[in-house]
Amino acid sequence: MSTREVFTDRLQAGVLLLPTMVVSLLFLYYPTVRAVGLSFYRASLARGDVFVGLENYRRLASSPEYLRSLLVSVLFAACVVVGVMAVALCVSFLIHEIDVGKGVYLVAVIWPYALPPAVAGLVFLFIAHPNIGIFTSYIETLGVDVNWFSNGPQAFVVVLIAAVWKQVGYNVIFMTAALGNVPESLTETAELDGVSRTQRLLRVYVPIISPTLVFLVIMNTIYGFFGTFAMIDLMTKGGPAGATNILIYDLYRTAFQFYEFGFASAKSVVLFVAVGLLMYGQFRLSDRYAYYGG
Amino acid sequence: MTDLTLQGVRKEFDGVVAVKNIDLHIPDGAFVTVVGPSGCGKSTTLRLIAGLEQATDGMIQMGTQDVTGVEPKDRDVAMVFQNYALYPHMTARRNITFGMKAAGDFSDEEIERQVAEAAAVLDIDDLLDRKPGELSGGERQRVALGRALVRDPEVFLMDEPLSNLDAKLRIKMRAELAKLHSEFGTTTIYVTHDQTEALTLGDRVVVMNDGRIQQVDSPQRLYDFPKTRFVAEFIGDPAMNMLPVDIARNGTDYEAVGPTFRITLPEGDGLEAAAGGQAILGIRPESLSVADSADRSSFTAEVTVTEPLGDSLLLECRTGDQEFKLHAEPRTAVKPGDQVALTVDAERLHLFDSQTGNAIYHAAAAQSLEETDTVDSTI
Repeated sequence: MSTREVFTDRLQAGVLLLPTMVVSLLFLYYPTVRAVGLSFYRASLARGDVFVGLENYRRLASSPEYLRSLLVSVLFAACVVVGVMAVALCVSFLIHEIDVGKGVYLVAVIWPYALPPAVAGLVFLFIAHPNIGIFTSYIETLGVDVNWFSNGPQAFVVVLIAAVWKQVGYNVIFMTAALGNVPESLTETAELDGVSRTQRLLRVYVPIISPTLVFLVIMNTIYGFFGTFAMIDLMTKGGPAGATNILIYDLYRTAFQFYEFGFASAKSVVLFVAVGLLMYGQFRLSDRYAYYGG
Repeated sequence: MTDLTLQGVRKEFDGVVAVKNIDLHIPDGAFVTVVGPSGCGKSTTLRLIAGLEQATDGMIQMGTQDVTGVEPKDRDVAMVFQNYALYPHMTARRNITFGMKAAGDFSDEEIERQVAEAAAVLDIDDLLDRKPGELSGGERQRVALGRALVRDPEVFLMDEPLSNLDAKLRIKMRAELAKLHSEFGTTTIYVTHDQTEALTLGDRVVVMNDGRIQQVDSPQRLYDFPKTRFVAEFIGDPAMNMLPVDIARNGTDYEAVGPTFRITLPEGDGLEAAAGGQAILGIRPESLSVADSADRSSFTAEVTVTEPLGDSLLLECRTGDQEFKLHAEPRTAVKPGDQVALTVDAERLHLFDSQTGNAIYHAAAAQSLEETDTVDSTI
């Protein structure tokens, strides 16, 4: 690496950096700092801000509603990560194994990912609507009473399926690419050795593509916590009775429906720290278990 | 161990014919090398035997069993790849045992014993707990060989296993492979583009070009009696010189007549039929030598390039409009531009048909040309 300065003129360098700096500062760093600051205030549009110290956090810790939301969030994110990756791995493996029509299957799988989350939510709403859903009557012939507008666990499952359905395509793109990079000779060696397909997937492919899987675990975790907001807003509005009230939705309501900006800021700080810690844990784990060559 | 027969085997890929009707019989316990230029179909042939490719036409037989449509795992063959194909996330030991465990035909003690044996033979005892990334190229190839050995297959298939190693290591591993074969005696088919490997390792060498078998023979016979112009030029480095000549009859003798030379050909089969026509005269670079003085049997040529190789001096020469190479004695005092008198070793001359490229005459006493071979092949 050369240590030569690209720009002899500091001013020129500064000017070129300016647009990025302005955008980052204005829309990223300033709001972050402001949110952390706000979390120590009782903030309201009408009466101005009052400093309350850790009051907001105390309220959070003692709010059973919030703790339930936290639990729902973690459970939901965990189910999304596991569900998405299990489905995507199977689909990717099947696509990897076939020789004919690969492209068609790939496009079909990726399609839901191409939809905006709001549209995906709407589509799923019509597919599984308790009264007018396209699949509803078929599911009810199996003996399930579809009433997820009032049944909490059902609502959780329906939103989960929608979230998984939407995210599988993204995972399949990365997984098929990673599987495509596994040397052909390893597959052939396994075939000559009489290694079964499942063994080949789990014992050969999964360890080799583990760096991609780690990346996907992290992306899916973020998706599980943040990316499903639109679907929840459209399908359940966090209900029934808080069954799908994940943290990001809960915090949105606090801020923009109840206008408790200080309290909402505290919630967003907690969410930020929680997800940050989770990521850190995942990176640490991946260092131990993922195979990065060498 | 078993013998192997290919009958009219043909392989097409989307209309491109990679292997054209190959007939080959490989006896039990033989070490057969398959050599040819890139794209000649040698690797495809090996993969057809392994079952990694399905033949478009023809039959592959192992022993008395027709294995043409049989899955790779049921053919009882082990393959060693050019890139070793070791599982990068497993230790050497796991790499060796993974296939055995997956197949489930072996008990734990048996696996343990086999691994210990193979490790001792290949001298990789100390490496068993390392991953491929921590091994050198040669060590990786040993582990890959170990994996093939422990399966105790009927046939070993090797696809350019030494090509990724540096020259020194390649020579060392070559000797070890030969030793392994003499120890285990497993039927081995070894594909390479390197003629030295092919000649040094094989009891029998199969030369392929353009999807067809050109010749199957022992290494020395391949060198001495090439059946086609392709084999003559492919085997040997530098390649055999090919000079267009007229075949003339002079009394009882036959002569190869070029623009600037007349070379008397020792009597042999094929000359009578060739007399009066044109042919390609093949002379290996080492069959030509620089004469001290010009006489009746020599001809003159101009030296264009000299390449001292240490043990010999490689000369590029020109006579008329024909160019050729020869190995002269080292330290011969010639330089580019010199005129030299050259003589040929009359016992080492070959004639090829100008049209078909098939050999029509070998001076080296056509005595053994018709000798039958233990590896049968029809071209």
